[in-house]
This record gives sequence, C-alpha cells and structure tokens, in this order.
Amino acid sequence: MQDLLNSILKDTYSISELKHRLRILKNYLSESFFGGQKVELTGVEDTNWLKSLPAQFFQSINKDNIYNIFTNLEADVKKLTILTMYLTFEPDTTTISQIGTFARKNFGPSLLLDIKFDPNLIAGTALVWKGNYQDYSLRSKMAQKKEEILESFKKFLR
Amino acid sequence: MINLSINTAILISAAVAILTSLLYLREYFLRKKIYQSQRKISQIKLQKIAQLLAAAEEAETQVLAEGSFATKKLLAEFKIQLQNIVKDSQQSINSSQNQLIKFMERLQDTSARFEEASKISGEKRINELFERLESKISDFLIQTEQKTTSSIDLELKAARQLIETYRNAQLKLIDENIVAMMEQTLNLVLAKKLSLKDQLDLIYEALEKAKTEKFIV
Repeated sequence: MQDLLNSILKDTYSISELKHRLRILKNYLSESFFGGQKVELTGVEDTNWLKSLPAQFFQSINKDNIYNIFTNLEADVKKLTILTMYLTFEPDTTTISQIGTFARKNFGPSLLLDIKFDPNLIAGTALVWKGNYQDYSLRSKMAQKKEEILESFKKFLR
Repeated sequence: MINLSINTAILISAAVAILTSLLYLREYFLRKKIYQSQRKISQIKLQKIAQLLAAAEEAETQVLAEGSFATKKLLAEFKIQLQNIVKDSQQSINSSQNQLIKFMERLQDTSARFEEASKISGEKRINELFERLESKISDFLIQTEQKTTSSIDLELKAARQLIETYRNAQLKLIDENIVAMMEQTLNLVLAKKLSLKDQLDLIYEALEKAKTEKFIV
C-alpha cells in the first residue's frame, strides 16, 4: 500500500493535485475494470502522469481490491503531513513541483503542500505547520524592519 | 220741737261765734304783742349792728393804718433780703460760672488729650492692621502665585502630554500609512517586476529559514 502511495506521491506535491490524481486514477481504473462512463482527462498532464505510473502499480490493482485500495489510500492521505504555503502568485504545476522537490529534500519525501493565495504578502511565503502560522514573506520582513525603513524614508523626505 | 231745735242751734251757733270772736281777738292781741316785741328786738339788733359797724370801721381804720406801716416795713426788709439774696445768688452764679468754665476747660483739655491718645492709638492700630493685612495679602499672593504656577504647570504638562499623545498617534498613523503605502506600492511593483525565479528564491529562503528555526520539524 505504501508503495502505491509512494508511486502516486513521487510526482505529486500538493494536496489538491493528489486528490485530483486519485480521483482520475480511480475513475480510470473503474472504467478499465467495470466500463461505464469514460474518464475525461483535463489535459496532457493527467495523461502523462497516468502513463508515468509504473506497470507494477497497475498490476497490483484489480477489480476485486480496487475499492479497498482506494479506501486505504484515502485514509493514508489523511495521515500525511501537510505544509500549507501562502504564495503571492498562482503557481503552475512545474513551479509547484520545484517548490515541492525543494521542500521534500529538506523536510521528508512524503510531504505534501497545500498552496493558498495571499497577495498581501508582497513576495515570499507564509507557512502553516501543524496549526502554527509563521510569516516569512516580504511583508513580515518589512514589518520587522519597519522602524529602519521609516527612518530611511524620513531621511529621504528631508 | 222743731223750733226748739232751731233755737238751740242758733244758740249753739251764737255761742260758737262768740267763742270764735273771742279766740280771734285773743289771737289778734297775742300777735300784736309778738309783733311789738319783735319790732323792739329788731330795733335793739339794729342798734347793736350799728354799734358793731362803727366799731368795725374804727377797727378797720386802725388795722389799715397798722397794716400800711407793716407792709412798708416788710417791703423794706424784703428789699434788703432780696438784695442780699440777689447778691448771694450773683456771687454763687459767678462762682458756679467760674467753676463751670474751669470744668469746661478741664473737660476740653481732657478731651484734647483723649483725642490725641485716641488718635495715636488709632493710628497705631491702623498701622498694625495695615501691616497684618499687608502680610496676609503678601502670603495670599504668594500662595496664589504658587497655586497658579502649579496649576499652570499641571495644565501645561497635561497639554504637552496631550499634544505629545496626539503627535505620537498622528505620527504612528502617518507611519502606518507610509508602511501601508510602501506595502501597496511594493505589492503593485513587485507583482509585475519580480520574476518567477526571484519568487522561488524567496520561497526557498523562507523554507530554509523555517528549517533553521525548526518551525517545521
């Protein structure tokens, strides 16, 4: 089960992306096993991702265990540690991958990101880890150096 | 019978008439006798009265003569006495007048001295009163000045504090506005000017810092 999850997580870095991929994977496999409505993939990325999954991954799933596997996978996903990141822009998949790779390199291979948008941060990011919020953005740096900035600004005004 | 009766009645009437006449005559003579005696007495009385009047006139004349002399004598004595009394009275009045004048002079003198003493005492008391008043006014003015100065100082301090508070609040507000403006400007500028690489660098820097600070364990 852990191998399956690791395979999915390998190129999946955000929780929204993970949920999306789990949903299309489940639909894809259900269609393969049981037929019915055809899965509409949202883009090339989804198709490429499905193709990138190893052959063993698909071999381990059949029509008898598919629901159990996905139930367990969803349960395991809930146990994953999620790092919430507030960004000042809306990153694309590549950018999320870059950030996710860097984060996993520093904090562990199973780390998932929950990307949120906050334009007030100016630049940089603010993080939420296990319920604790920490602002590392430019706004926070400005607030820390507010007096120096004001002094410089006042000097500039004089 | 009847004739007899008439005769008897006539007889009785005649007898009564005679008796009445007798009684009348008797009364007449008695009254005449009384009248004569009374007239005689009256004459005697008149004589005596005349005598008495003569004696009285004589006595009166004598008395008048004696009275005139006594009166003259009394007048003379009275005059002398009166002159003495007047003289004594004049002396007494003069003496009293002198005493009164002396008393008045003494009184005037005493009054002048009393007035002088009162004046001095009054001036002294007024001077003391003025000194006390001056001292009290001076104290009052000093206290008032101190209180006023203290009050003004407090008011000034409060006003300065109020101004300082207001100034600080306004400066803080201006600072906040400056910071807000800068943030807004930076937000607008950096959103356009900051490249993806720069954004990623900042994010990597933040993650490394979180690691260093052990925010993410």
